[in-house]
Amino acid sequence: MAEKKQLRIATRNSGFIDPENIDSYIAAGGYQALGKCLTEMTPGELIEEIKKSGLRGRGGAGFPTGVKWGFAAQYPSDVKYVICNADEGDPGAYMDRAVLEGDPHSVLEAMAIAGYAIGAGQGTIYIRAEYPLAIKRLRIAIAQAQDYGLQGPDILGTGFGFEIEIKYGAGAFVCGEETALIRSIEGNRGEPYTKPPFPAEAGYWDKPTVLNNVETLANIPAIILKGADWYSSIGSETAKGTKVFSLVGKITNVGLIEVPMGITLREIVFDIGGGCPGGKKFKAVQTGGPSGGVLTYKDLDVPIDYEHLAACESIMGSGGMIVMDEDACMVDISKFFLNFTMEESCGKCAPCRIGSKRLFEALERITLGHSSLAELERLETLARQIKDTALCGLGQTMPNPILSTLRVFKDEYLAHVLDKKCPAGVCKNLLEFYILAEKCTGCTLCTKVCPVDCISGQVKYCHVIDQDLCIKCGACLEKCKFDAIVKR
Amino acid sequence: MPTLIIDNQSVTVPEGTNVLEAAQQLGIVVPHFCYHEALGAVGACRVCAMLFIDGPVKGMQMSCMVEAKDGMVVSTEAPEAVAYRSQVIEWLMLNHPHDCPVCDEGGECQLQDMTVASGHSVRRYSGKKRTYQNQDLGPFIAHEMNRCIQCYRCVRTYQDYCGGTDYGVLGANQRLYFGRFRDGPLESPFAGNLVDICPTGVLTNKPYRFTSRFWDLQEALSVCPHCSLGCAVIPGARFRELQRVRAGVNPEVNGWFICDRGRFGYDYVNHPDRPRTPLLHGEELPWSEALEALQQRLSELIDRHGSDSIALLGSGRASLESNYLLRRLGEQLGTAAPVYGSHAARDRAARAVTDLAAKLSASLAEVRSSDLLLVMGADPLAEGPMLALAIRQAVRNGGRVMLCDPRPVELPCSAEHLPCQPQELPQLLRILAAGENLPANLQPLADALQQAKRPVLIGGSDLLGAEGSAALLAAAQKLNSAERPCRTMILLPETNSFGAALLAGDGPDFDQLLNDMDSGRIKALLCLEADPLTDCPDRKRLLQGLEQLEFLAVLDHLPSLTAKKADLLLPTTAVAEGAGTLVNNEGRMQAFAQVFSPGEPLRFTGQGGHPPRNFSSTTPGALPCQAWAVLAELCGLPVNLAEIRRELAAKEPRLAGLPELSAEGPGQRVLPGNGASSSVPPAVATADESLQLLVCETLYGSEPLSALSAPLDPVCPHPYVLLQELDAARLGIAADDLVQLTAGGQQLALPARLSSRMAEGLVIVPRLRGTELESFYPGQPPLPCRVEKVSTP
Repeated sequence: MAEKKQLRIATRNSGFIDPENIDSYIAAGGYQALGKCLTEMTPGELIEEIKKSGLRGRGGAGFPTGVKWGFAAQYPSDVKYVICNADEGDPGAYMDRAVLEGDPHSVLEAMAIAGYAIGAGQGTIYIRAEYPLAIKRLRIAIAQAQDYGLQGPDILGTGFGFEIEIKYGAGAFVCGEETALIRSIEGNRGEPYTKPPFPAEAGYWDKPTVLNNVETLANIPAIILKGADWYSSIGSETAKGTKVFSLVGKITNVGLIEVPMGITLREIVFDIGGGCPGGKKFKAVQTGGPSGGVLTYKDLDVPIDYEHLAACESIMGSGGMIVMDEDACMVDISKFFLNFTMEESCGKCAPCRIGSKRLFEALERITLGHSSLAELERLETLARQIKDTALCGLGQTMPNPILSTLRVFKDEYLAHVLDKKCPAGVCKNLLEFYILAEKCTGCTLCTKVCPVDCISGQVKYCHVIDQDLCIKCGACLEKCKFDAIVKR
Repeated sequence: MPTLIIDNQSVTVPEGTNVLEAAQQLGIVVPHFCYHEALGAVGACRVCAMLFIDGPVKGMQMSCMVEAKDGMVVSTEAPEAVAYRSQVIEWLMLNHPHDCPVCDEGGECQLQDMTVASGHSVRRYSGKKRTYQNQDLGPFIAHEMNRCIQCYRCVRTYQDYCGGTDYGVLGANQRLYFGRFRDGPLESPFAGNLVDICPTGVLTNKPYRFTSRFWDLQEALSVCPHCSLGCAVIPGARFRELQRVRAGVNPEVNGWFICDRGRFGYDYVNHPDRPRTPLLHGEELPWSEALEALQQRLSELIDRHGSDSIALLGSGRASLESNYLLRRLGEQLGTAAPVYGSHAARDRAARAVTDLAAKLSASLAEVRSSDLLLVMGADPLAEGPMLALAIRQAVRNGGRVMLCDPRPVELPCSAEHLPCQPQELPQLLRILAAGENLPANLQPLADALQQAKRPVLIGGSDLLGAEGSAALLAAAQKLNSAERPCRTMILLPETNSFGAALLAGDGPDFDQLLNDMDSGRIKALLCLEADPLTDCPDRKRLLQGLEQLEFLAVLDHLPSLTAKKADLLLPTTAVAEGAGTLVNNEGRMQAFAQVFSPGEPLRFTGQGGHPPRNFSSTTPGALPCQAWAVLAELCGLPVNLAEIRRELAAKEPRLAGLPELSAEGPGQRVLPGNGASSSVPPAVATADESLQLLVCETLYGSEPLSALSAPLDPVCPHPYVLLQELDAARLGIAADDLVQLTAGGQQLALPARLSSRMAEGLVIVPRLRGTELESFYPGQPPLPCRVEKVSTP
């Protein structure tokens, strides 16, 4: 991990300690925060501290964590719950996994702190079953914490009890949405329901529940130990602290980074990421996973925080950043993400269930060259309608990839629709492979490699591709030694 | 109470009302699919979108999901909202097949209405429709998934409201599938509600399939006659045939749903063996002559043997008006008061229930909102299925259910079960009421009762008997206070048992009638929709008594055993063919309206041909008359229901509200009795070491009307005997073994079923009509019996 411009808070221990050894965590200052909370702070003070730190949920929506805890604390109930959302489902995102695999105790410690703040004695980690190593290490960590009296009926002899269990998710993307997640833990179908009531009032088994993302929780012990003022001194005006991003795609330095909020995209992509490999031009970066949108070369100086991303029709999301270079077709990218959300729609509300399919079909017609200007307009209207009227976050953010690419790359859409061309040369149906007469030597290599025998011509004479038969596989282009075949 | 403005009209609604309901209060029609009064809002269909112009929320919102708040200004007519709603309709229609002409839902299809209303008429989408394979959901429900619009109503009804676990939603995104998780029929006894609840034609009524169009049906508001709860129903008839029943709405009683026995038990009305012409000694004769013959025979006998030689028998099946006119006839002839009920113990229990100060009695609505239900000797699913559903709603609202019953009572919700002996029940209730000397096993019950804010004591008159029913009412009276109301609900055997018992007062019961028949004093018996030969537990003695009669007259619409034996048989109408009043088990008078005129179904007279080839100036089989009209004529009264009701209300002060009653509305409670329940002597418990046979009713097969309904045939159980596992182990009996049951002088070979939840020392058989088990009678103290394994050669 390139350390330049980075600041590690949530991932402070990952890679430095032995995640399967609690002593290693304690040696790094672990469980001191829990001890401090239990012995020196009242729950009210603790919540105030978190509020003051300005920590906002790292799962995507960015709701102030302290305020959330405050709500859950104020509802009286005999039983309350703390749930850790470790259902990391965005393609290309693995921040939570890194924390859980590298520093599981920080999450356990933070959950106990949250339990103390709201008066909960039970915690549940909802983790996707596709993370076997994280699950194994969590199990070890829970057992060790129990042995050390850092979890169980009487933590550190203070009389405060907190127990954690693990529940597995089956890999449904929508189960990362908090209401769907709660239904899933309860053994029901993972379908969102309409808030209010918010989980802080009536969540898991209708009891007040605090639901925090792994990364949010991992920040808590650091805030307690170093103080809210320290934490709030980091970051931008509206977003404090740091954010972990997983930087993937067409980027030189692939991997996880943790940077202060408010850092510019330019710093992330070029200073930390080292730009696109092979000297290609940077085109855009997709943030927030399939529910997010794209930031483009025009947005390189946008500070990365919740509000600025929203202004660019994208979202912070859980922190996936997929970098694209000049070879990416933006229509194709939108189609890819839409395909993902369409498949992951639970089907409950009409805009998401039916609208996503219609959007997908419209995009497909564009990439096939069958679309029209009127349809492009309808696509945009439909996308906005779905954004405004879908039941849950998944449906409401589903059109983001389309809307954000339309914002900057409308010319690419128009090229597909009007000229029937894909400027990036990705959409096969809009491609034409063409033999340049002046370069062709008639070597017949291309005719031999063509799987559909659509290239004809006599030896030593210029060859011709039958466009009706061509399947655009590109085999001839790769084979030609004289660069006589071009795609356009 | 927030006040808001919808479409420039101001409306004030109670806290917690959503905007959709507020708009409906103003009479604004709001399109909706997933929202339903009984199920609430879920926000899935997105067709109730409105534009919120001002107030706490703004923009396009789903009105069912937004709680009405002060200062809201909402428009249903805003162009954006209209356009969005029609967009959603267009979406829903993308996959919907254009099969309205062959769809049973046509004409009563919400999707059809909404599509027409939204103006969507031209299909713009050229893609393929998604299609599904359908499931065989059993004998009641036809499945056509291609029509589904994914509103989730069926799942919420079946799983959430009715507690079914075998049907739900599968798949995701475009491939949502609503169906059973594995092959087989729907298991819930409330599955029929899916027909009413589905807003389009996915789930339709299988027995009714392709018989009629909604607009061709004759329909009227009626009351279900298949148990004592009196649920609102809307029967539909065509071609002189009762073709279906759908749920009516009575918020105080059934709410929006009914049970499958009520929905599919209607076919007794169309029974081919039903009496349709007056018969004198088996010879058909016109009504005028039949009535003349009856009057003549009666006056002859009175002249010869005196007026007390005539006995009258009413029933809990006949309407309040008919039962009253029977008494009136007796008064005119100078006979003894009629006996109401052919089963003396049941009659006595019903009278004990009737005697209650009626303000203690709970409606099903009160059961639904109760926080503690003590079910003492009642099997709701068998004796009043909708009570089981009401109990489930109480549990869903956080209520608790505790059962004291010898039977392994099943409920569609969680319940704590305490097995006990049937004869212990009255004593348990007395101890509970006194709150002293509680045995350890009753302590949790008493504690729960102590903490409950709105408890309801539920009982079944069959198991409690008169003594237990009186004890239950006394307990409720004791536990009831102004701050902490305690209510009761006791299930009775028949639809109008309450009304009949109320008219009976302290008149004679069937045991007295049997004595009088034995002594030879009774020369003539007039039965009003009663079948003593099937219902009287002492059949041998009754048969002897009937032998001695000189004249047996029967008014009935069922092909009953008694009707077959009658010297004079006068055919009457079924509930759906007439008007009248029934009093349900809580003492609620409910009027029912006439749905159609009696006649032999065209299906029989036309011999399957259509259109009918035989024509006549008279309607075949149209002779059955409403019993009250026949009796009014016999009494020489004008045949006018309103006048009879006025007269009855004047004579019976507890029925004061009767003249104002109409088939619309939730009905009206009878006024409280004096509550001075005649002390019922405790039955002497016989200490007997042998096994005791308890006879119980079942959901299907026990109730006399639905037992004659063909659509229910596939679900009627076969005879069996139920043993406690420990007893069975002692006797060396395993499940499904053939055992020989010896009781009451009879020997039967039956397959054994075992249960670990029932009381020990008991053997349970269901009373199944038309089987060998018909000769065992419920509502009786348990009989000593013997059970042995039949050794297979």
